[in-house]
Amino acid sequence: MDLSLLALSPPGWGGVLLAGLFSSLQLAVGGYLLGLVIGIGGASGKLYGGPIVRDLLEVYTTLVRAIPELVLILLLYYAGTDLVNQLMHLLGLPSMDISGLAAGIFVIGVVQGAYSTEVLRGAIKAIPAGEIEAARAYGMSPLLTLRRVTLPAMLPYAVPGLSNLWLIATKDTALLAVVGFSELTLVTRQAAGSTKHYMTFFLAAGALYLAVTLVSNVIIGMIEKRARRGMVREA
Amino acid sequence: MKSILKTVALAALVGVASVGAASAAPIKMGVAAEPYPPFTSPDASGKWVGWEVDLMNAVCAEAKLECEITPIAWDGLIPALTSKKIDTILSSMSITDERLKTIDFSDKYYNTPASLAGPKEASFTADAAGLKDKILGVQVSTIHAEYAQKHFKDAVSEIKEYQTLDEANNDLAAGRLDAVFADAITLDAFLNSEQGKACCDKKGDVADDPAVLGAGIGFGLRKGDDELKGKLNAAIKAIRDNGTYEKFSKNYFDFDVYGK
Repeated sequence: MDLSLLALSPPGWGGVLLAGLFSSLQLAVGGYLLGLVIGIGGASGKLYGGPIVRDLLEVYTTLVRAIPELVLILLLYYAGTDLVNQLMHLLGLPSMDISGLAAGIFVIGVVQGAYSTEVLRGAIKAIPAGEIEAARAYGMSPLLTLRRVTLPAMLPYAVPGLSNLWLIATKDTALLAVVGFSELTLVTRQAAGSTKHYMTFFLAAGALYLAVTLVSNVIIGMIEKRARRGMVREA
Repeated sequence: MKSILKTVALAALVGVASVGAASAAPIKMGVAAEPYPPFTSPDASGKWVGWEVDLMNAVCAEAKLECEITPIAWDGLIPALTSKKIDTILSSMSITDERLKTIDFSDKYYNTPASLAGPKEASFTADAAGLKDKILGVQVSTIHAEYAQKHFKDAVSEIKEYQTLDEANNDLAAGRLDAVFADAITLDAFLNSEQGKACCDKKGDVADDPAVLGAGIGFGLRKGDDELKGKLNAAIKAIRDNGTYEKFSKNYFDFDVYGK
């Protein structure tokens, strides 16, 4: 193995790989946060919404979880952009240029949203009903109840599921390689193809993904500790 | 099919509208996001280099256009063009009747034969008889894939389609393929590399079939984008006439890559 190929400045490809990692992380963080927002909305809708809202959300979570993410990405990336521009055209607006990053975040967000809807729904259902009733009895508005009671109380139940989703999100970014978005996997393939040092570059990319996971685990551990403060420590 | 045509027509309309609205925006040139030497490949600093990049710089300077490269997966180039993610395809794409149904092309800017490469120890001719019972590798959605389907399908035992030519070449070197069928120049680049020299050599050019192999390689354009087409055609002609084309081509080839 020729480690000088991984040097940060040309002729080493390290800089390109790190730029790819940065793009991947942007995608993962953006998509994950969008997914969380969709998930909170979706879980609330599924638990407290009317029958129509509930059915629509059921269709959303079922469809998205049924279709392979690769297919969704191809569909939303090409057909989605086309659709948006046709809509803009019908409304008499100039067509929009949707960047690869924005489209990628949207796609990962939609996929993550479906899964986190279910994770959060389960976590909210685990909150003792009395706590939410107490909040209502104090005259809290639904939003205030969500912020002060529901979200903090469900966090201990949601963190394991949500941390899984985060780790999945970091690896889902690799799927964007199929549409030519320069994230870590695509730049690795380009570097490997250009230099013919496949082993070196794929191992390096694997090490970078592993580093992301290890750092994530430490942070998730801290979040979980904080979310569970005041609770009995289980073995 | 009808709805696809409608979509294309609509995309073209939108294209015309937006060219008028935002002519200052740089022209986005879609390049297949894969190493395709000597035409387009990324270097260690993440920049795109190669003959086609030089061509783009010359053409855009001549036409006074601001151009930028946008990497897109090879089989996503045409959808990206029609959905306006890019404005032009700069990716060694041959002008064929099939593609002309969906998109438009500028005049050709180069034309090369198609040829076969195989392992050194094997000896066969570059036609259907020579490929009998062999496993043939091609890149997906290329003129070579179509040519193989039309002329070699019955002779070979299998046609394997790869996302990138680079992967097909690797499988040839690894012995998973008996032959690779692709553009002559790009195959040469592989055969002259360390990996290619060690394993394989050229078996010859195939018989021409203009209906499949097309009339050379041009810039891919959205239908109806005639303003850009006119500018590019004029610029291609100008750099052919004033010697710029020859000048940068010399750095890559010892023959006229423009073809007949």
